[in-house]
Amino acid sequence: MTHSNKKINRLTPTNEDTIGPYYPISFCDGDSIDMTTAKNGIIFEPDGEKITVTGCVKDINGNLANGVLLEFWQANAKGVYSTPDNMGDPDIDPWFTGYGRHRTMNGNFSLKTIKPGRCGDRAPNITLTIFSDGIMRVVTQLFFENDPANDQDPLLQVVPEDLRERLMIKNTGKNKYYIEIIMAGENETPFFDDLLS
Amino acid sequence: MTKLGRQIVIGPTDNTSNERTPRNRLLLIPDAARASFVPWAPRVQGLDPAEADLTRLTPGRPRAEGDPIKVTGKVMDEFGRPIKNSIIEIWNANKYGRYSHIEDHSGLQLDPNFLGLGRTISNDQGEYEFWTIRPGAYLARPDINRWRPKHIHFSIRGGSSRLITQMYFDGDEHNDTDPMRILMGDNFHTNIGKEYETPDEDFDCGYKFDIVIGGKNPTFFENI
Repeated sequence: MTHSNKKINRLTPTNEDTIGPYYPISFCDGDSIDMTTAKNGIIFEPDGEKITVTGCVKDINGNLANGVLLEFWQANAKGVYSTPDNMGDPDIDPWFTGYGRHRTMNGNFSLKTIKPGRCGDRAPNITLTIFSDGIMRVVTQLFFENDPANDQDPLLQVVPEDLRERLMIKNTGKNKYYIEIIMAGENETPFFDDLLS
Repeated sequence: MTKLGRQIVIGPTDNTSNERTPRNRLLLIPDAARASFVPWAPRVQGLDPAEADLTRLTPGRPRAEGDPIKVTGKVMDEFGRPIKNSIIEIWNANKYGRYSHIEDHSGLQLDPNFLGLGRTISNDQGEYEFWTIRPGAYLARPDINRWRPKHIHFSIRGGSSRLITQMYFDGDEHNDTDPMRILMGDNFHTNIGKEYETPDEDFDCGYKFDIVIGGKNPTFFENI
């Protein structure tokens, strides 16, 4: 298929819309915000440093954004994502999916996970998708403060230097981390466009 | 390639939109980082086929109040390729405009036979089918008399495809003042369910709602 053909044949995408305030909570019953436990009652665990990232999502007034649905996605301790394309990769961790989902009632969250590894130029990071009343899906990536790989990370390079700090997960103690997501206004978290790019 | 990312616009008369819409333009993702933005969501296993029928709590229970409707369609990527084995979730208000959600404090009438939430999985052709009750419109902003038109919420996930949208009804008197509909502009037609007759069946009518998931995400991994 040539480039021009592609353009002609493309269908008009259905507009994204807000998730609204009433996403059924029971649809989240099987969800987990603990990526360190592959399955209940199984002795095997993923490799790597177990960490807890606590945080919150706030609105333009500094109030907690209640009822937001959060999706987390990350590589394993060796920097490999678990996707259908790399099932045979020897560095895949069979006990780590890298996917977590959580509806936060009040805007706070506490993610239990494995510290993601570096992958080539990419510094350790966690992708965060936010679904909220009032807006369409927004996405960003969170990094670890003072990680030596941050300086070369190609995504951080496109973030204005003075805003990079807003994407940094801060170490607050042994295996403990913290980040605030500001959806709008002063100190707004940088978000990325995964529709146009 | 576009030079700039989108500027998300605030939905007029929508307080939450004003509070939560990023004011800065979205940043474009460089190619070297693009794949890392595509989650591979594990699929939900073992759905009960009865979950696609919202008109009854369980088979054999009384039918909910209001007009039973079919909602059917096909989930595709921008090239028309079916998105199969995706989990499709819908949720909608009852005929009075009330959700069964614990945080709906509107006080509108509940229907004990209507939960208003259902799930199914798209088949090999990307097709899905739900039975539900035509939802009622409801007054979302009593202070300015602004209504939400009749609508059904949709979520598509599983694999690398991800979309949350709403199906609207053609001709609803409240469509034109809906904040999100206003933002959709000329593309609003993609969010309208196309009415069709369901002769000799126990439904008021059917609505065909085909869903096209845009962007690169749905095509990142093999659609298995």
